[in-house]
Amino acid sequence: MPTVTYVDFQGQSTELDLAEGMTIMQGAVMNGVEGIEGECSGSCACATCHCYVDDAWLAKLPEMSENEEEMLEDTASERKTNSRLSCQIKATATMNGIVIHMPEEQE
Amino acid sequence: MFKFDPYSPEIDADPFPAYATLRAEYPCFWSEDIEMWVLSRHKDIVMALNDWETFSSAKGNLVSELPGRQGSTLGTTDPPRHDRLRALIQKAVTKRALTHILEPARATMRKHLDALKGREQFDYVSELSSRYTVDLIVYLFDLPNENLQTVRDKAVLMVQTDPKTKQKGPEHIEAFEWMQDYAAKLVEERKRNPGEDLLSQFILSEIDGEKLTDKEILLTVTTLIMAGIESLSGFLTMLVKNITDYPEVRDALVADPSLIPDAIEESLRFNTSAQRFRRCINKETTLHGQTMKPGDFVILAYGAANRDDEAFPNADVYDLARKPKGHLGFGGGVHACLGTSIARLACKVLLEELLIAFPNISKVEQELRWMSSTNFRSPLELQIKI
Ligand code: HEM
Ligand code: FES
Repeated sequence: MPTVTYVDFQGQSTELDLAEGMTIMQGAVMNGVEGIEGECSGSCACATCHCYVDDAWLAKLPEMSENEEEMLEDTASERKTNSRLSCQIKATATMNGIVIHMPEEQE
Repeated sequence: MFKFDPYSPEIDADPFPAYATLRAEYPCFWSEDIEMWVLSRHKDIVMALNDWETFSSAKGNLVSELPGRQGSTLGTTDPPRHDRLRALIQKAVTKRALTHILEPARATMRKHLDALKGREQFDYVSELSSRYTVDLIVYLFDLPNENLQTVRDKAVLMVQTDPKTKQKGPEHIEAFEWMQDYAAKLVEERKRNPGEDLLSQFILSEIDGEKLTDKEILLTVTTLIMAGIESLSGFLTMLVKNITDYPEVRDALVADPSLIPDAIEESLRFNTSAQRFRRCINKETTLHGQTMKPGDFVILAYGAANRDDEAFPNADVYDLARKPKGHLGFGGGVHACLGTSIARLACKVLLEELLIAFPNISKVEQELRWMSSTNFRSPLELQIKI
């Protein structure tokens, strides 16, 4: 089970072991990690699961789809070069140790 | 011998005891009655939704599928086609894009509430939630102002199923055909005379310079009207059923309307109106010791997952303070509901206005008649006192 570290806007971090195939968004919302909403239930349609991926990990993630790219234009907090939608990232073994930063706001 | 038959009236009325057995004892259950697998645990359904390559929607997503929809609508295609179709509509239905429906929604709600002033009791389904839903969808899709009662009746009929023959009856197929004719006329009209509305935008769209096929347009428009009207009015009924079943929740919302969104989310979880959808297995998959083979159909029981104690402690309790993120009331993954923002906005306006007009709405003892449907769950009538 890959371990994912979620760091909130205040710098507080939570470590979770996610089942492979679970998304980073689902890991957060099902385990009470604040800072990720997931309003559209993971259909890449709301941008309330916006996160920043630690640079070291960014290149290891599968590429963004066109829909994710477009939806990232709609984030409530600033979009940065390491912005991703966490519902589009599924936990895999190669991702063990990934660090995710949450933005200031999602809505 | 345990059975699970989603055509049976008992399941329409109260599926929860059967779900508890499914989750506890048969998490990957082969139902002889319908020759389909049934998944009921939150974790298993989430995994299935995340894996559309294995759990495909291309053979249809209704448990009892309507003819011809396979491969031609959002709910019945797989990526990449699905994602391209969805991207065409998505932008028009985000929360930000929908602020323009807020005031019209409020105005229509107030109009229908005014008409009820002076009454003691009324049928919430026919006199309020259906009328309000139809008005909203008419506004959103710019539908002609005629035949609206028929449009509503057909939308509700086409999602139903016959408990005796365990399939769609002639009246359900007829309703679907009626809706297709209605959609066909609308599509013709919009092609000649396009407007700013969501349907016009979709009809005129292209993917990689290619127009959508006529069949895609027709069936997607038909499905949008069905989903818009039936799914929304069905859930609005469950929502107000919850508020009147639990007067302490009603009082909390009257005292502090900012809690209304929490009530909506908890009702989506607790009394999921979209109880079950279907997928088809594409790759052999083993789960809980059972092997599902390519071509097998599998039901994802969202209503069961939403009552799974593993995901939501004390899941059978309606808890306004729960804030149940991650519920499956709108499904999940690539096929999660397109209309979530429309639905949440409509629910919020309805409750805000209803509780201002009638802060004492309350339950009437009655024998509820439930819709006969393998997918959806809501009563056909709901008397409430005001
Ligand atoms: C509270 C009201 C509603 C509920 C509970 C609801 C529920 C759902 C659910 C559970 C699904 C997933 C189906 C699956 O897993 O195969 C879905 C899909 C869908 N819904 Fe809704 N719905 C609602 C309102 C609406 C509205 C108002 C519209 C349109 C105006 C709409 C349009 C759609 C469409 C087009 C899909 C297919 C999306 C796709 O496959 O990409 N729904 N809905
Ligand atoms: S949950 Fe909506 S875009 Fe990720």
